[in-house]
Amino acid sequence: MSDFDQILVSEEWEETDLSLLETLDHVLNRGLVIAGEITISVADIDLIFLGVNVLVSSVETAHEVLRKRPTE
Amino acid sequence: MKLYVYCLVEDVEALSGPVGGISGAPVRLEKIEDLGILVSDFNDDSVPVTHENAMDHAAVVRSVLDRTTPLPFRFGTLVTEQQLRSYITARKPALESNLSMVRGCVEMSVKIIWEVSKEKEEEVQESDHGLGTTFLAEKRREIMGSELKAAQAKEISTWLHKSVSGLTRGEKVSLQSSEKLFLSAAHLVPRANLKQYREQTAQVREERPDLHFLFSGPWPPYSFANIELEFKTQFGVS
Repeated sequence: MSDFDQILVSEEWEETDLSLLETLDHVLNRGLVIAGEITISVADIDLIFLGVNVLVSSVETAHEVLRKRPTE
Repeated sequence: MKLYVYCLVEDVEALSGPVGGISGAPVRLEKIEDLGILVSDFNDDSVPVTHENAMDHAAVVRSVLDRTTPLPFRFGTLVTEQQLRSYITARKPALESNLSMVRGCVEMSVKIIWEVSKEKEEEVQESDHGLGTTFLAEKRREIMGSELKAAQAKEISTWLHKSVSGLTRGEKVSLQSSEKLFLSAAHLVPRANLKQYREQTAQVREERPDLHFLFSGPWPPYSFANIELEFKTQFGVS
């Protein structure tokens, strides 16, 4: 792995979960905003993490999902 | 027909290959006032927040990260070509200043999830003996718990800042934005410092086994694309 490869480090979370949570936290909450309107629609309840609680809401949801996941 | 806008770039004359954007639309590079903007055509009135669309947005912005440091736009930015042109023209000095700040850097994210330990809670509860009513005792516990958390969040923020400050160009910190998210920090790290930054954060993690850390990166500098503008966000339900 090069220094520039994207990594996610956590003791608790699966990398795929973290990748989604962190991506949502970045793209929905941050970045340049052009004066005018941002119009988005929410179709998937699991992805309603809008606002300052983006990460934690999604972490809690993910935690629930992980807890309910059948063991293989 | 509107444009979905992904990011602003400098010193990029062409995309290195075909890039697929939201809804699979091909991404192209528009040039306005010597600045490059990655856009794709978008036919609808709103952008659904889905796993796939969020990942597509992130992938387009990330596609240029190995060549330059882009200024990302927020998910869901839909404009006409004329609106985009007016925005760039009117704010060119501010945008260039923002590009200059992030040039050669990437964003690294640190999140700390933590709750007051049982030990601390017991300390707080023990100190409540002698209060007249259960109600007052509970209120006092609540207040003391909040104060304790606030003080500890501040202390951890200062400790984290000191640990990495020599390696970063900028920092954005948010304390206790919710019950469980104790601290959220974004560090703007020059690419040359990335290896050292990672070593330092690994050490930080070892120093505080009582805290749950979540490190991620490198990211395009989403947290440092911060020209303040008035805007309105509409949430529709599809």
